[in-house]
Amino acid sequence: MMAALHPKQTIMASDANVAVLTHGTIALRNLEAQIEGLDPSSTAGFPRIEERVWLVDLLALRGSILGSIADYERALQLAHQLVGDGTTEAAAFLGRARTRAVFHRFKDALDDLDMAEGLAADTDVVNLERAAVFQGLGRYEDAGAILEDYAHRRPSFESLGALTTLCAERGDTERAERLHAKSVHLYRGVSPLPLAALDFQLGVMWMHAGQLDRAQNHLIAALRNVPAYVPAQGHLAEVEAALCHFDLAIALLIPLATASDDPDYAAQLARIYADAGYPDDSQYWRSRAAARYEELIAVHPEAFADHAAEFWLAAGADTGRALSLARMNLEVRKTPRAHALLSLAIAADEAASAQSLSHPQTSQTATSAANERSIQ
Amino acid sequence: MSDHFSGPRALADPAADLTDLYAFPAPDNPRRLVVVMDVFGKAGPGAVFSDAAIYRFRFRRASIAATGPGAAFGVDPDEVQFDFTFDLPSGDNTALQRGHCRIPGGDIVSFSTNDERGATGRGVRVFAGQRSEPFFLDVHTILQSAETRKLAFKKVGSDTLYGTNVLSIVLEIEWAELLGGGPIFAIVCETLRAGTQPVRIERLGRPEIKNVSMSFKTFDQVNRDLEIRDLYNSEDAFALIPDYVGAYRARLNANLSFWDSLDGKTDWPLDEHGNHPLTRLLLADFLVIDTSKPFQDTSYFGIEQAMLSGRPHVSPGGRWLNEDVMDSIFTLYINGGHGPRISDGIDAPIAWSSKVFPYLAPPNPPKVKAS
Repeated sequence: MMAALHPKQTIMASDANVAVLTHGTIALRNLEAQIEGLDPSSTAGFPRIEERVWLVDLLALRGSILGSIADYERALQLAHQLVGDGTTEAAAFLGRARTRAVFHRFKDALDDLDMAEGLAADTDVVNLERAAVFQGLGRYEDAGAILEDYAHRRPSFESLGALTTLCAERGDTERAERLHAKSVHLYRGVSPLPLAALDFQLGVMWMHAGQLDRAQNHLIAALRNVPAYVPAQGHLAEVEAALCHFDLAIALLIPLATASDDPDYAAQLARIYADAGYPDDSQYWRSRAAARYEELIAVHPEAFADHAAEFWLAAGADTGRALSLARMNLEVRKTPRAHALLSLAIAADEAASAQSLSHPQTSQTATSAANERSIQ
Repeated sequence: MSDHFSGPRALADPAADLTDLYAFPAPDNPRRLVVVMDVFGKAGPGAVFSDAAIYRFRFRRASIAATGPGAAFGVDPDEVQFDFTFDLPSGDNTALQRGHCRIPGGDIVSFSTNDERGATGRGVRVFAGQRSEPFFLDVHTILQSAETRKLAFKKVGSDTLYGTNVLSIVLEIEWAELLGGGPIFAIVCETLRAGTQPVRIERLGRPEIKNVSMSFKTFDQVNRDLEIRDLYNSEDAFALIPDYVGAYRARLNANLSFWDSLDGKTDWPLDEHGNHPLTRLLLADFLVIDTSKPFQDTSYFGIEQAMLSGRPHVSPGGRWLNEDVMDSIFTLYINGGHGPRISDGIDAPIAWSSKVFPYLAPPNPPKVKAS
C-alpha cells in the first residue's frame, strides 16, 4: 500500500541540482550491516572505544527508525558496559549521555556530560549534547542559546537541523520550516536517514499544531525517503485517523502494532477501532498496549510516563493511572506538552470522580476493571 | 519516546565511505593495470553499494617534474574517468546488485556483484562485491604513540581490522589502449552524490593521509582546533583550492615532524620555511604508478623515494594489496628509510590477496575471532 508513496527519492538541493539519495531500503539494510560489523560478538577482535560508541549510536539510530525499544535498551546496556569498563575517554560518557537522554534520564545524562567535559571533550560537542538534554527538559531558552550560537558560527546541515528540531518542538512552525529549507539546502550526503528524520519532526510539529495536511506532507516525505520508518508511519496513521480516514489509519497501524515492541501503535489502534465502532478489536489492542505499557513503566518509568498517560487517558480509560503518570512526567520534564498532559489528566480525573458520585455503580465497575488491569 | 530527537547527526552513508585505494600492474600481464577501491569498512554480511553514489576512478598522465629536496610530479590537466553505479538489490534478502561501469567513450559494462568471474568490456574487466579486508594495522598503538609521544608498537600487535570485510570495486584495464600515453599515471578514487551536478563526498589517493598523517590536532600550532579532514575530503585532488593549502601544509608539517621525532633523531630536517621534505609530495594526494615497471610486492612510495634521492626509480610505485603499507609508512616517516624497517607488530591480514582476478580474498564469515 505504501509503495505508491515511494517513487525514486530525490531532494531539491537547489533549484538547479536535483540530488539523488540512497534508497531507503538500502540505507536501512546498510545500517543493519554496520551494526553487524561492529557488534562485539561479530568479527572484530578488539574494538576501539570510538567503535563501541559508534555502535551505541547506530543502535539508537535503528531504534529511532524502526521504533524498536529493544535497540534502545541494547544501546543503553552497551553504553553502561563501556563506562563500566573503566574508560577515561570522553567519548564513552558522551555516548552514554545520549542514550540516557533517550530514556529521559536527563539528570544522569547531564552528569555524564560533565564527566566528558572533565575529560577534555570538545566544548562544542559537549554543549550540543547539553542542548539536546535541555530541549528534552523543556529548557528551551538554554537549548536555543547554545544552538543559535553554534549555527551562527558553523552553519551546516547538522547545526541548522538541530535548530529546526528545537523550533519544531517549541511550536515555532514558520521558523522551523524556514530553517528546514536552509538545512536541506546544505545537505551533501546520500543517506536518506537524516532528511527523513527532519521531515518526521516537522510532521509531528504540524500534527500538534492541528494542520493535518502539512503534517501529512512531511510524514509522507519521510516515508518516501525511508519506507520502513515506523514512527513516521505511526504518526501518519494518527493524522489519517484525525481526518476520519479510519480504514487507512488501521491499515497503516496493524503491521506496526503487530511487529513493534513499542505499545504506541497498539494504543492508537485501540483508540481508532473504538472511534470507528469496533469495540472488540479495540479491546484486543487495548489489552496488548496496557500490558506492554506496564512492563515498560516498571523498567523505564521516566521514558514512558508521557505516552502511557496518554494511553490511559484515551483507550486505556483509567484516569487515575493517567494522572499519576502525567504527574511523574512533569517531574521529569517541564515541557509545555507535559503541562498540557497534566491539565488534561486532572480534568479527566475530576470528570471521572464527578461521574462516580452521580453513577457509583458504573464507576465502581470501571475502577475494578482498571485495578485488575493494573495488577495484571 | 520515539518522538524525541535532538537534530540530525552527520550520518555519512557507509557505502560511500572510502577506506582504501590500491593500484598495481597486473601480476601476470604488464599490459594491464589494476585499481581497487574499497568502501564500507567493517561491513556486515548484508552490506550493499549505494544506488545514489557514483564510485569513480580518475587517471591522469604524470611525469617527474623535479627531483631532490624539491621533488614534484607534473600532472596533465586531461583525465580519464571510470564511473561505477549500482541498482537496487534484486530482492529484500539478497546482497546481489547489478552494477554498471561507464568506460571512456561511453560504453557501459554491466555486471552482477559478488561474481568472481567479473565482467569484461573493451579493454576492461570489472568486479564488485564484498571481500575480506586486505588492510591491516594496529590503531591502538598508533593512538597511544600520539598520546605519549613515544613509539608504542609491540612485537606482536593487535589487528584492528582482523576478520572484517569491505565492499570492493576492482577495475583491470589495458592501460595503453584506455588511458593513452603513459607510462606514469596519477590515480585517485572518489565517491560522489549522483544527480544533475554530482557532488564529491570523499576522495582518496595515498594511504593514511587523512588519519595517521593529518588527524592529530595536538602538534599543529597553526590550526590546533581545526577538523581539517572534511574540508580536505571535499577538494579536487588534482586542484587544491589555494586558500586552504596553507592549513593542510601546516598540519602535515607538524604531524610529520612528530613522527620523525619518535626515534630520537631527525631524519627529515625542515626547510627554511618550516616545511617537512615530504609535505609537498604527500599533498599531491594520489597514487603514482609507472606501468612500464613490473609488478613488485612492496612498492608504495618507491617512485617518490627515488625522486627524493635524485636517482631513477625501479619500482612501479602504486600500492599492492598485500603490502604491509603501515610498516612502509612508519619507516618512511620515522627514519626515512635510513634505519631498520619499523613494524607495528601486525604483518599480515586474516587472508592474503591472490595474484589472480579479482585478487582480494573472499569475505570472512561472521564470528571469526582473533586468536
